[in-house]
Amino acid sequence: MHQYDIIIIGGGLTGLRAAIEASESGNNTAVISKVHPLRSHSVAAQGGINAALGNAPGAEDDSWKDHAFDTVKGSDYLADQDTVDVMCREAPSAVIELEHMGVVFSRFEDGRIAQRPFGGAFFPRTCYAADRTGRNLLHTLYEQLTDMDITFFDEYYVTSLIRDKGRITGCTALNIVDGSLHGFTAKATLLATGGYGSLFARSTNAPINTGDGAALAFRAGVPLKDMEFVQFHPTTLYGSNILITEGARGEGGYLFNNKHERFMKEYVPKAMELSPRDIVARAIQREVDEGRGFEDQFVHLDLTHLGAEKINERLPGIRSIAMDFAVVDPIKSPIPVQPGQHYSMGGVASSIDCSTPVPGLYAAGECACISVHGANRLGGNSLLETVVFGKIAGESMVKGVKNISAPSIDPVKSALKAELARIDSILTRDKGENMASVKEDLKNVMFDHFGVFREEDKMKAGIKQLEKLNERLSRVVINDGGRLFNQSLIYTLELQGMLLISNAVAQGSLSRQESRGSHFREDYPKRDDEKFLKHTLAYYHDNKTVIEYSDVTLGRYPVKERVY
Amino acid sequence: MKFKIFRYAGEQSRYDTFEIEPEAGMTVLDALLHIQARLDDSLAFRYSCRGAICGSCAMLINKVPRLACRSQVSELVEGKVKDKVTLKPYAAIEIKEPWNKEDEVLVEPLPHLPVIKDLVVDQDKFFEYYRVVEPKFKPGDEHPEKERRMDPADMAELEKYTNCILCAACFGACPVDGEKPEYLGPAALAKLYRFYIDPREKDHESRLLQANMESGWWACQFHGNCKQVCPKDVPPILAIGKARQKLQEIGETP
Repeated sequence: MHQYDIIIIGGGLTGLRAAIEASESGNNTAVISKVHPLRSHSVAAQGGINAALGNAPGAEDDSWKDHAFDTVKGSDYLADQDTVDVMCREAPSAVIELEHMGVVFSRFEDGRIAQRPFGGAFFPRTCYAADRTGRNLLHTLYEQLTDMDITFFDEYYVTSLIRDKGRITGCTALNIVDGSLHGFTAKATLLATGGYGSLFARSTNAPINTGDGAALAFRAGVPLKDMEFVQFHPTTLYGSNILITEGARGEGGYLFNNKHERFMKEYVPKAMELSPRDIVARAIQREVDEGRGFEDQFVHLDLTHLGAEKINERLPGIRSIAMDFAVVDPIKSPIPVQPGQHYSMGGVASSIDCSTPVPGLYAAGECACISVHGANRLGGNSLLETVVFGKIAGESMVKGVKNISAPSIDPVKSALKAELARIDSILTRDKGENMASVKEDLKNVMFDHFGVFREEDKMKAGIKQLEKLNERLSRVVINDGGRLFNQSLIYTLELQGMLLISNAVAQGSLSRQESRGSHFREDYPKRDDEKFLKHTLAYYHDNKTVIEYSDVTLGRYPVKERVY
Repeated sequence: MKFKIFRYAGEQSRYDTFEIEPEAGMTVLDALLHIQARLDDSLAFRYSCRGAICGSCAMLINKVPRLACRSQVSELVEGKVKDKVTLKPYAAIEIKEPWNKEDEVLVEPLPHLPVIKDLVVDQDKFFEYYRVVEPKFKPGDEHPEKERRMDPADMAELEKYTNCILCAACFGACPVDGEKPEYLGPAALAKLYRFYIDPREKDHESRLLQANMESGWWACQFHGNCKQVCPKDVPPILAIGKARQKLQEIGETP
């Protein structure tokens, strides 16, 4: 039995930033992560991190309130304005703190941190380290922790949260390397496990983003918020769906259809390619659906007019991605791109201090829905959310563990028994469904029925398919009966959680009869503030998903039509 | 198309051959995932981002340490790998298991680290050496209110080294690490060099002295395999050469 004051599940930017806070307070802290922290998906963030530093020429007047307004408008007014205020107000100090930790941000000629334009932002506000911003941030935060007193459980997969008398008091976790199951107690537990992108075919996300934190919370009786809001990024590389950063359009890239038209002029003549992601993604999908794409699959993102020098300096990573994965050199030819799942706006319901409705449990980063992104996230705000709310989550837990006595180990013991039984039942089943094909079918159902364009009949058919997949899941079989680095066992445990939370995405999408941000209903193409200026809350009761609604926190910015 | 893959699960090691139909654009990681999903779900290998940025999937592919996610199968079998590398020979890449280069890809675990299962190696030693160089930014002064300014002209050299993704391909490619397991290796030294040349750091000389030992800067024999295999074009060999030159100038040798 492992006993800690604070346990952080997830070793990406949010988890590591929280860990710094927890460790500096002297609390006995552990980070549990299913991959080595440096392999977390934060590493893949490319374009940058927003902060109203006002460093860019002509952007001297930028302020955190402008940033907050852009964020609220970008969210289609679904974001909670109090949490957006916190994020945007803290942004400049969060970026400066990262610089002080050693992050090598790209610079303007005068030596200050460079800032580039991003979609939906009035000023160039996105700070960056070339197009490898997440990698630079993650490595720097991990470096900060190398001399701190923290225990890392790398390659441990958390299988359940312990709930004792209405409080989360720990978890069980499987050591992936040797297959042993471990019990943990904690006075405070943070979920920082990232998004649920792997529910969908065509995702920019690492395959490890299976929504584990959301599934853990959902099973433990914690509601999930706004799960139907799933961001589809306009430009993912055709074939592998690896992300092609918005920075490519920020630096001046054009989108062309098969008639060599810059088709964005038909949709948003003013903002063109730098419209927010939901709008550009729908425009591209429309072009492809109406026969103006290439091979009925993709459009062209053209950077050739930027010239070799600019591409090599500002977008070197994009050039290698295009060359390595699509055999296209963006200096010479346009990049084939199509929309793909990119970000999970929804997640574990958590408050401005990152606490969830169940005491002892906190959630932050992409796995949470503190609601700073509402119905659509602006580029450059996700890295920002991780560090701002990672820090706040750490501070809240430090406060929260004061005067809390060590949790009882008895509930952990009984959870270990139950989890061992669940694992054994998977390992010993010898006939049934192929696990990988159930997973593949799930991804296709989610992309086809709950993708860029949604509609009632299509979604109802999708929900039927999910029910069938649930039946198949109970018969899933894997051949590897061993304990040593059994990835198929981990995939099966992940898949159980994925199917569980896919119900929350599906039911939330069906119930929301309006179009808002990323959630676009062909049958309800207008936003309906009267009925749906609300957060969706999905609860898991008696093996069913129940949908409720809660109010959005409004503030300085009155709800208006969203025009760009 | 055949994949000849090293297998080990605590007992006798062996090679298994799997035959799959290659799809256009298929990478070695795609092939491994396909084999794991359809042919043998006990096959183990690390991966995460599948976009050559997380550093999880370095392995020995056709006797060269590479990222599986970045290695196009078609280029491997036709013998026309774009970044064709010619490595200085070392024990771990001697051909002990024959494979047919025309229609087979040979996949083995990264050398110089103990194998846990199949293609998964224990990277503890690699990260221990990373920690030896104290990879934490040590600024020279009190934090200013805003950012420390940096001349963009200094950035190109610094970024060469901050681009490292700690995949350990260089560690597996270094002949010296094969013979002298105590050698910190190219990645740790490149990381140390990154802090040494960071103009915002306090005491540049002390950074150099941190690895001023037989198992540090001085163990390198300049084979250059590190630079050749790096998927991010990081040149540890150049860093080590410059560091040694500087140490000699200031009269500091172990």
